[in-house]
Amino acid sequence: MNAKYTIDGFIHIHTTGDISMNELHDRIGGRFMAMSTDEIREWQSQALARSVAQAAKSPFYSERFKNMGLDPSDIKSWEDITKLPLTSKEDLRLSYPAQMLTVDQEQVIRMHTSSGTTGKPTAIFHTREDIDNWAELMARSLYQAGARSNDVFQNMTGYGMFTGGLGLHYGAERLGMWVIPAGAGNTARHIMLIRDFHVTVIHATPSYAMHVAERMLQEGDDPKSLGIKMAVLGAEPYTEEMRQKLQDIYGFKVFNSYGLSEMNGPGVAFECENRNGMHLWEDSYLAEIINPDTLQPAGEGEVGELVLTTLRRTAMPIIRYRTRDLTRIIADKCSCGCNHRRLARMVGRSDDMLIVRGVNVFPSQIEEVLMRHKWLGGNYLINLSTAAALDQMTVKVEIAKDAFDGSLDTLRSKRGELQKELKEQIGFTAQIELVESGSLPASEGKAKRVIDERG
Amino acid sequence: MYNEIRVFVENKPGKLWKISNALGEAGIDIINLEIADEGQFGVFKILTAKPDRAKKVLSDAGMTVAFNSVAVIEINDQPGGLVKLAKALEPSGVNITDAYGCILERGKRAIFVVKGDNLDAIESAARTAGLRPLDSLE
Repeated sequence: MNAKYTIDGFIHIHTTGDISMNELHDRIGGRFMAMSTDEIREWQSQALARSVAQAAKSPFYSERFKNMGLDPSDIKSWEDITKLPLTSKEDLRLSYPAQMLTVDQEQVIRMHTSSGTTGKPTAIFHTREDIDNWAELMARSLYQAGARSNDVFQNMTGYGMFTGGLGLHYGAERLGMWVIPAGAGNTARHIMLIRDFHVTVIHATPSYAMHVAERMLQEGDDPKSLGIKMAVLGAEPYTEEMRQKLQDIYGFKVFNSYGLSEMNGPGVAFECENRNGMHLWEDSYLAEIINPDTLQPAGEGEVGELVLTTLRRTAMPIIRYRTRDLTRIIADKCSCGCNHRRLARMVGRSDDMLIVRGVNVFPSQIEEVLMRHKWLGGNYLINLSTAAALDQMTVKVEIAKDAFDGSLDTLRSKRGELQKELKEQIGFTAQIELVESGSLPASEGKAKRVIDERG
Repeated sequence: MYNEIRVFVENKPGKLWKISNALGEAGIDIINLEIADEGQFGVFKILTAKPDRAKKVLSDAGMTVAFNSVAVIEINDQPGGLVKLAKALEPSGVNITDAYGCILERGKRAIFVVKGDNLDAIESAARTAGLRPLDSLE
């Protein structure tokens, strides 16, 4: 035992040897992490057969399998995956509230719903085993990124239905970290807790991390002085440029995380120390990349829509779920030694794609350009409207407080450069509106970056 | 050399109120105020006797503020008062990019606030003509 931190007069004795390596190995699913490619495939074949048999117990899948004449016992190998039907978000909505539930009510210990704002939500159910497995996935994700039981972890996202909050919380606890469940909002309190308890790892949305930094800079405070080592950022898409910007401001390392509530939430795929693609936990999810138009498998290494099948969830298995996320699988061996294949950075969501004057535009393309301009703050808003029967795009962006040199000419010419670069990126001219720092709605959850007012 | 305050603002109603209210509540007198406008946004140029304090007050109120160096030359507030300065500047060859004048005491003292590519040259030209560059307006 060694005294690690002195906090306001009392000494916290931190035990670094509180759990054995064997116990840690079990807690984070070490046997799955260490699997070879062949072992992963072998496991996937058995797990897929189990998952399909389990799914067939739900009213939704039992009917779907029957309608297509599929006998669950025909599924024997992971390669049989294409014999199975795809499941869409709409299917989940239609199965609301509980048409996909496969177990007795008394076995369910928790449900989450998606953050969808239109119509019925999608409800996801978990047994105790499911919650345990999810915590294990999250714990191993954090471990793989470098977090250890002697780290102090502050969870800065909302709890409740949002899976990011409880998902990270359970995983961090499972790993044995000191967890501060601070929740969303109350920026001043977040800063105080991080400082007073020497927080080393945070979980936040990228836009909220930026909001906290801007608030500190505005008050003449340096975010680097917080001493945070590592940040898990997720729940909303962000570019490599945004990651770099946050790393520069805070001096921490940002780890990308991928997850969606339909697949539990966070912990589906996570970056290792190499931070070159996110290892997808293939013992728990069977991944495919399909062409979203033809629904046929994409070629090896090609970008397409990610389709996931749960392999270990019992209360609600989901078969071939169309995530709408566009990415590719990196099959090359990672030097970290983990054989679970990686997902490349998401290109975007097929849902997020904007069609403006007939041109396909992803908000991430615009963010990429904005983040290159150091004189801009991190917050922006894309507004789409119609004028004279033509689509108009206006990008509102905050200028960084300390970048203002007092000159109108400087702003005018910088805006001109920005407009030109944006045009090169998206192919048409967008209006740029420069706004004051802190004037765009600050997001403490998922940032709403696009407002479409086209009639 | 003197620090004029520059405030970045979006072109929206209520901005003049916000700025003048913040300065008024802090007891800071505005000697001169101008607005340069670019349509969607603009820059307020504010001359006060307490530039450091004014900058802090506006920044604390959440505004985007910067200093801008200007030469403040005292002239006589009477016909021909500016001529003396203009005459002195002409042979110095400095280019003036921005300027305005305001009265400190009617009929007696006025100031001419100049921004150019060489403030030192402007100030020394003024001194040669017997005019006084100010570094305080208190």
